[in-house]
Amino acid sequence: MAIRIVAALGVLALLPAFYVLLHSGGGDVRKLTQSLVLGALFGVVLQRSRFCFFCHWRDFIESRDPRGFAAILLALGVGTLGYVVLFGAWLPDPASGRLPPDAHIGPAGPVLAFASLVFGVGMAISGSCVSGHLYRLGEGSPTAPFALLGVIVGFAVGFTTWNWLYVTSIATTPVTWLPAELGYRGWLLVQLVVLAGTAALIAAFACLPDRASQPAESRSVLQRALHRIFVERWPATAGGAAVGVIATVAYFQVQPLGVTSALGSYGRWLADSAQLLPETLHGLDGFSGCRTAAATFLTPNFAFVVALVIASFASAITANQFKPAWPTGNQVLRGLTGGVLLGWGSMTALGCTVGTLFSGTIAGALSGWIFFAASLLGVFATLRLMRAQAQS
Amino acid sequence: MHTPSLLKALVIIASAAIAPTAFAEPAKEPLVNYEWLQKNLDNPNVRIVEVSVDPGVYERGHIPGAVNFRWHTDLVDKVSRDIASRDSFEKLIQSAGIDKDTTVVLYGDNNNWFAAWGAWVFHVHGLGDKVKLLDGGRKIWELKQLPLDTKEASVTATSFKLPAGKPGLRARLSDVLSVAEKKADVHLLDIRSADEFSGKIFAPEGSKELSVRAGHVPGAVNVPWGKAVNAEDGTFKSPAELKKVYADVGIDGSKPIITYCRIGERSSHSWYLLSQILGYDVKNYDGSWTEYGNSVGVPVANAAGTVWLGK
Repeated sequence: MAIRIVAALGVLALLPAFYVLLHSGGGDVRKLTQSLVLGALFGVVLQRSRFCFFCHWRDFIESRDPRGFAAILLALGVGTLGYVVLFGAWLPDPASGRLPPDAHIGPAGPVLAFASLVFGVGMAISGSCVSGHLYRLGEGSPTAPFALLGVIVGFAVGFTTWNWLYVTSIATTPVTWLPAELGYRGWLLVQLVVLAGTAALIAAFACLPDRASQPAESRSVLQRALHRIFVERWPATAGGAAVGVIATVAYFQVQPLGVTSALGSYGRWLADSAQLLPETLHGLDGFSGCRTAAATFLTPNFAFVVALVIASFASAITANQFKPAWPTGNQVLRGLTGGVLLGWGSMTALGCTVGTLFSGTIAGALSGWIFFAASLLGVFATLRLMRAQAQS
Repeated sequence: MHTPSLLKALVIIASAAIAPTAFAEPAKEPLVNYEWLQKNLDNPNVRIVEVSVDPGVYERGHIPGAVNFRWHTDLVDKVSRDIASRDSFEKLIQSAGIDKDTTVVLYGDNNNWFAAWGAWVFHVHGLGDKVKLLDGGRKIWELKQLPLDTKEASVTATSFKLPAGKPGLRARLSDVLSVAEKKADVHLLDIRSADEFSGKIFAPEGSKELSVRAGHVPGAVNVPWGKAVNAEDGTFKSPAELKKVYADVGIDGSKPIITYCRIGERSSHSWYLLSQILGYDVKNYDGSWTEYGNSVGVPVANAAGTVWLGK
């Protein structure tokens, strides 16, 4: 255990080193620092509570274990309450025709639905969503590096199809913000009722696994507490609530939570280097969402993502969950193909399960709900297909 | 029972001391400094207005009590390229609670560029005597770590009517062309970077190329806006220093001046200081290089000789 703690501290020492590197870039130091702290917290929460949209959905679809799915709904509920407080202060009249600043509210139409479906398929094939792969990178996952590489490639492909999709459909798709239609109270009521209704629905189908019998405790209270924090998996609900709180603080201080804009910037750079990037990406920079930057890598989102990986790595070490493994051919293939679908889907949908589904839904965006439904459908259908194939 | 009544008396004296009479008179100068503004945050006759270009900056922390004017939608016409019409500007002013006795203090991000542009719009619509800039803008307020608020300010709308406007503060393409063709004796001041002025580049990094010719208006002199400020805190240099900066390129106030840049907002910063601090006769050309450089048949000076290749 002592070795693991020393190793984890050694990994955490990368954070101050990274902080120094960020300061050398000349960006907005305050925002970079806040992103670094929030990314580290997010990484620990994801790793300790195994918060992952795909795994939670899969647990429910395959084993009817509802705990993770409930954690997602709880995160959405807590985030919604946090956001509505900020909205109330920042934009007292939701019907003014303005949108809250930088909130991930995107065009809600067929392109988004299709891209979210593709993203769902990519999740099922690669075994995780983008944020899940990021924290698994810190656990030594053999699939995650290939999936993330695939995401970057998928982003590059997304840039090449964007203009056509934009002109054909996205440009005339409405950007629907539910509070503008329903008022804050109406939206809050509908949103919380839908979340509670979904929770009730999954509870009706749920099948809770038996609690593993606890071994006789011979340790002190402190030892048990430390064990629960650093070694055992956190309760999914604690993870969900923490994600909701981090999302609110991130929106308040820097920008809504999202994990793809830094990866997307690599995709943009890659497409540009390969001379595949169109001269202009119509309308893209006019939308709020996981934007990509062409010029600089030292963005707040980059700080957020790197801190996430470092912190989840340290957290995985203390929990003895850092289990690097050589990838098999199948893992490489599934990582890459799933990753490309994740990348294309999140580029076209202006974000992933974190940026569009989560940060969008808690901001009252119809686009968030569409991503939720379509990606869940993609996961469900792909899991069913894969199972049927395995059985045949 | 002596103590409570003594306390009461003290409270009365104290509140009299901080009653409106205690607010400093609005400075007669075109600028207010952060110390003055700090003392006047609760002054009912002062309305603070933030004009920042980056969305979300105001919401995540603004000077307490400030209202937000959005450069891209509130201060311009959203369809044709123009400043906000008289009607829509009047509505904006009313909704911000600005009345006949109000002193308006503008500030914003990016070295007050957009706040200065806002001040120019106030002047064009006849409110020049009401408006001042916070010297140093957001930059100095943040640098001094002064308090910020995140709540939208609540203000009571007024029914204030705009006085007669001053359209003469706005230079048009024809005015600039007259200077280029030496038909008018006016100083032209181009405040863009030296590389934009010389024609090496079409637009600064991070901005889209919006004109199909590089260079500048013949006869213009180049003083990038940054030469007018103290880099460390964004405040304007002293009037004496400013006088020298412009006198060095021949601009001494003896002739009328027209300022321009790429889209007319950075040049408002120079317009403000030349007209309000130095008292020169200045117009701002808001069409700027994106209008002039795209106009057919006008003379252009392009020292670098960069040719537009359609990309």
